[in-house]
Amino acid sequence: MSEQVWIARLQEILGPSKVLTSIEDRIAYSYDGTFAQQLPDVAVLPESTEEVAAVIRVAAEYRVPVVPRGMASGLAAASVPFSGGIALSLTRMNRILELDEVNRTVRVEAGIITADLQSWVEARGLFYPPDPSSNKHSTIGGNIACNAGGPRCLKYGVTGDYVMGLTVVLPDGRILQTGGKAIKNVVGYDLTSLFVGSEGTLGVITEALLKLIAKPQYVRTALAEFPSLDDASRTVNAILSAGVVPATLELMDETAIACIEEAMRLGIPLDVEAMLIVETDGSDEEAVRREMETVERVCRDNGARKVTVAQNERERAQLWRARRSVSPSLARKAPNKLGEDITVPRSAIPEAIRRIKEISARYGLPIVIFGHAGDGNLHPNILFDKRDPAQWEKVEVMAGEIFGVALDLGGTLSGEHGVGTLKRPYMEQALGPVSIDVHRRIKQALDPLNIMNPGKVLPD
Amino acid sequence: MSATRRVSEEEYLHCIRCGQCLPVCPTYRVTLNETDSPRARVALMRAVREGLLERPTDRTAAQFFRCLLCGACTFTCPSGVTVDRVLELTRGEMTDLGLLPQPLVALNQRIAESHNISAEPPESRLLWTQNLPTPPTGLGKTQAEVVYFVGCVGALFPRSYGIPQSFAQVLEGAGVEYALLGAEEWCCGYPLAINGDLETARDVMRHNLEAVRATGARTLVTTCPSCFHFWKHTYPAALGEELGFEVRHATEFLADLLEAGRVPLGENLPEQVVTYHDPCDLGRKGGIFDAPRRVLRAIPGIRLVEMPENQGGSHCCGGGGNLESMDPALSQAVAARRIRQAAETGAQVVVSACQQCERTLFNAARTERLRLRVKDIAEIVLEAMK
Repeated sequence: MSEQVWIARLQEILGPSKVLTSIEDRIAYSYDGTFAQQLPDVAVLPESTEEVAAVIRVAAEYRVPVVPRGMASGLAAASVPFSGGIALSLTRMNRILELDEVNRTVRVEAGIITADLQSWVEARGLFYPPDPSSNKHSTIGGNIACNAGGPRCLKYGVTGDYVMGLTVVLPDGRILQTGGKAIKNVVGYDLTSLFVGSEGTLGVITEALLKLIAKPQYVRTALAEFPSLDDASRTVNAILSAGVVPATLELMDETAIACIEEAMRLGIPLDVEAMLIVETDGSDEEAVRREMETVERVCRDNGARKVTVAQNERERAQLWRARRSVSPSLARKAPNKLGEDITVPRSAIPEAIRRIKEISARYGLPIVIFGHAGDGNLHPNILFDKRDPAQWEKVEVMAGEIFGVALDLGGTLSGEHGVGTLKRPYMEQALGPVSIDVHRRIKQALDPLNIMNPGKVLPD
Repeated sequence: MSATRRVSEEEYLHCIRCGQCLPVCPTYRVTLNETDSPRARVALMRAVREGLLERPTDRTAAQFFRCLLCGACTFTCPSGVTVDRVLELTRGEMTDLGLLPQPLVALNQRIAESHNISAEPPESRLLWTQNLPTPPTGLGKTQAEVVYFVGCVGALFPRSYGIPQSFAQVLEGAGVEYALLGAEEWCCGYPLAINGDLETARDVMRHNLEAVRATGARTLVTTCPSCFHFWKHTYPAALGEELGFEVRHATEFLADLLEAGRVPLGENLPEQVVTYHDPCDLGRKGGIFDAPRRVLRAIPGIRLVEMPENQGGSHCCGGGGNLESMDPALSQAVAARRIRQAAETGAQVVVSACQQCERTLFNAARTERLRLRVKDIAEIVLEAMK
């Protein structure tokens, strides 16, 4: 059967301006934030849940793969259309539908940029805490589909903790509503949670009901410089053991520091092995200040050479802009990077870092380490040049060994990026046969035609 | 700048497709279609280079010309890719392949034949001087320390006459001796260069350089940020020689005159809230952010407020990159988004320092039905003078 038939059907339903078929458009929808690339047959830009449902009905009728996507900033190749078919972009569904200030909820369409939502609610004294580093270039729908995390998750939890309900277009085109504004809700299975982190394999998230909290009134942010990486990683646990729960506790190693300094010229010292960015926040100014004093003391006791507290919002914003730019700025060092996302119990962080650095030394390719050390989520990034086949071969082996370190220390493959395509080969090792079987049965029950983001998450 | 220079692999290799350029790209923010994003334009350029797209067509080329060349992507790129430069060079490659879009072919032809963007006879460049209280003193002057290079839009678009008229009067009020090139001023060459016709661009550049040199001027000043950027950064490289005079934008010139006390300011402006729109060629590309703000702060009665997207992170007015000729509707949609940002600050007046920004934003304020006045910085300085 030719593609012409179903593409014509889509054009008939959505109108030609929302169905893009040129090679130029298909190239634009062929990649995400990784090095993977594959052309879809068509990209569609629906503007409502009903239009998404209509697209899915056509896809089901003609057995066409559908790959939902927001801004395609993912780091696991989850939104790359490896089987061709339809790249379904939710970016034009970006409206805020309802703010309920009494119940502190907001209902949004999936394509809204997370940072846009955050600044909108913060202007009203409210707060949506999950803050993936990509919050300016990723969407709520994508964040939910990957259960995205971010620095603030240490204190405030991950995206899934703020999702109270969803509107999902199922693989047969029906529209499912889950959850609601009631805080307690145990009627039936927790279907909301089923779709959180499902990476587009079970349906298309088109709307979300999100929980908001009051915006913390006071924030203090510090940058601690450590001549020794080992000292920095030990300090993470020392801070948490001292009874402080910082909003964020981020670690960057020397290569990460060098890259952002080159990109942003902030005057960060280049002669340290690691830095921690620690933030305390809350509604009691005195408590926030006292917690920061504890953080400063613990850092110094554990080998910090210098601890600088941001003096104003501008300095603080600059620190965070730097932190958010670490991952992409690594491209200054090498044309390609494989950004991993392992998590370990936080007591194991110093050991995990030691073993990863050892892998780097053994294979002779740099591994940069940064991440949300406070919650045990590290981003070891292997830097390489994909044009050199010998390097690429090493990278694949090194990635496997990094996952081995995580599993060996009681952690897992991904804390917030998701599985996508890149981590599929390691799924069985991470979850075991029983869990994989349950996964398969859920997938089969919801998507018997296997049209929703085929070839992602689950191993073959 | 060389007529045949191609984008090198080193220039695009480090685009890792992170997506940080998407939210700052005005065309992406308006269409919300990845195809209109910097990341996609680089991917498309790379697909052509690496054979994923075997034969570029008009449709392919159009994607590179649907870009404002505003440089917001380059400013934000953490990997250090100079996206606007890559796209400028790629436009040249498309033109070499005969794929320059028709509206832009016509623009190039107009400039080649008439030496201005709107196919006017050369003497039309002086029409703006005719309805002033007294003719500008720079008119007909053959020797001067300062040459005022007016630029095509200010000289030839009647609704922009106010900009050169104001600037000339401010210069005279400050006692600056200057010369106008009049009919001997040609298009600076910028539109040709970004449409890939570098040969004709060199011809007009050579002509302009000689015309300015003939006055013996030590300073060239222009109210147009694009002329400024092109004169300052491209002329010396493209012609392979030092200019022999300084190139300054009107905002720098005005700031110095004001601070030297040479512009007699009155208290005649009513109290007003003003927001300043950074032109891309002046700010991001020219590095001039402070001078216009110094000018505005020096004027009694003005309270300056900033839009969230300002200075290096400024949002294009929609008038960049010849997009207005290429796709007027897209250009207007970008302008509408920018003027709404200005309105959200609560300002009564948007001041820019560019005739193109002034025009696009003025039109956008009208179509968006906003009670917001749009002025050039020279106009507001003149109003504030005694």
